[in-house]
Amino acid sequence: MSEKTFFQKRVFPIIFMLVITLVFISVTTVIYTFTQDIIKINESLVLKRAILKAAGFEVLQAAADVEKLYKDAVSEVKDQNDRTLYYIITKPGLLDVQGYVIVSTGSGLWGDITAAIGINSAKDQLTGIDIIAQNETPGLGGRITEPWFTNQFKGKGGPLSLVPEGETANSNEVQAITGASYSSAAMKAIVNSTLQDAQRIIKS
Amino acid sequence: MEAFKVKRVFSDDLGANNPVFAQILGICSTLAVTNVVKNTVVMCVGLIFTTALSNLTVSAMREYIPARIRMMVETLIIAAYVIIVDIVLKAYLPDISRQLGPYVGLIITNCIIMGRAEAFALSNPPFLSFLDGIASGFGYSYVLLIIAIVRELMGSGSIWGIKVLGDWWTNWSIMVMAPGAFFVLAIFIWVVKGMRTEEEKGEKK
Repeated sequence: MSEKTFFQKRVFPIIFMLVITLVFISVTTVIYTFTQDIIKINESLVLKRAILKAAGFEVLQAAADVEKLYKDAVSEVKDQNDRTLYYIITKPGLLDVQGYVIVSTGSGLWGDITAAIGINSAKDQLTGIDIIAQNETPGLGGRITEPWFTNQFKGKGGPLSLVPEGETANSNEVQAITGASYSSAAMKAIVNSTLQDAQRIIKS
Repeated sequence: MEAFKVKRVFSDDLGANNPVFAQILGICSTLAVTNVVKNTVVMCVGLIFTTALSNLTVSAMREYIPARIRMMVETLIIAAYVIIVDIVLKAYLPDISRQLGPYVGLIITNCIIMGRAEAFALSNPPFLSFLDGIASGFGYSYVLLIIAIVRELMGSGSIWGIKVLGDWWTNWSIMVMAPGAFFVLAIFIWVVKGMRTEEEKGEKK
């Protein structure tokens, strides 16, 4: 077997690694460029669906329906830095304010939970909530996204407290999820603090 | 000759040399994703895709990869394919992508992929390596699916999110948490190894 030259031993591996890195980065970049618009649309659709659900509308499946209803019923209120503070909900075609939606984030068990929280025009009752992003344990805390859990917030007034899963909840109580005490408490905290902040943030 | 090799690749990866219960590889994801069947299926599809294609690519380049940097190259190839899976899921299956969260990225660290690239793809032709990737992926998948079905059924009373057991069933929360996976995996390995030892005894006689 012939002895390897300096080039083969030291230089070639570096060039090889550089070239192959470039090749794979190019491939993933091309795929990313082609899909980034779809990904952006998907993400904004998730947000719009959540806002509409929190505002108490029926959940729409078709993307076009969601876009249309959102355009008709939701207007965004921004601060001077162009960040969205909250959303004003009107009945499609009418100008009366039906309620507000605030998107707020709080810490869950593994990471942040982001939820859209709908509040009525009197700012004392929830019109609904929906989870936009969460990293809770699938099957346990992850169940905060299930409709039975999110739907029970509708019509409730704060400050909320928790009762065990399966028990009857009063007008300021929601059922916690068995096996996910922390995630349930996190949801309670997010909703309560949003209800409190709503008085300050929303200027009518 | 070829057919014989292909057959051996499959029987090896699905049975005697199964990545999960014989080599005990990929345990991290086995514990993490198996509490819900749906997530498990997507994880398995992602893994089969990545193992097959990274095996194919590594094998096609095996004559050229300098030996001393081969692991860097393998990691790069695997990472590229996983990023592709992640992007495709985000674009075309956004709901599942949202549910899986960080697990997709974690396919990169699944030892099965690296293990097959090192142990098989570096010393075998591309097509056979591709098949080996698929076979290993299936070997991993069916074990995970069995565990996932047991865990979701006992932990949530449902399969694929659909309630199967009635109200009389009390959910075993421990099955949904990581310890449940340890128990089910251990019992699974125990049963399979027990059966294999019996078989070997029978063969000797």
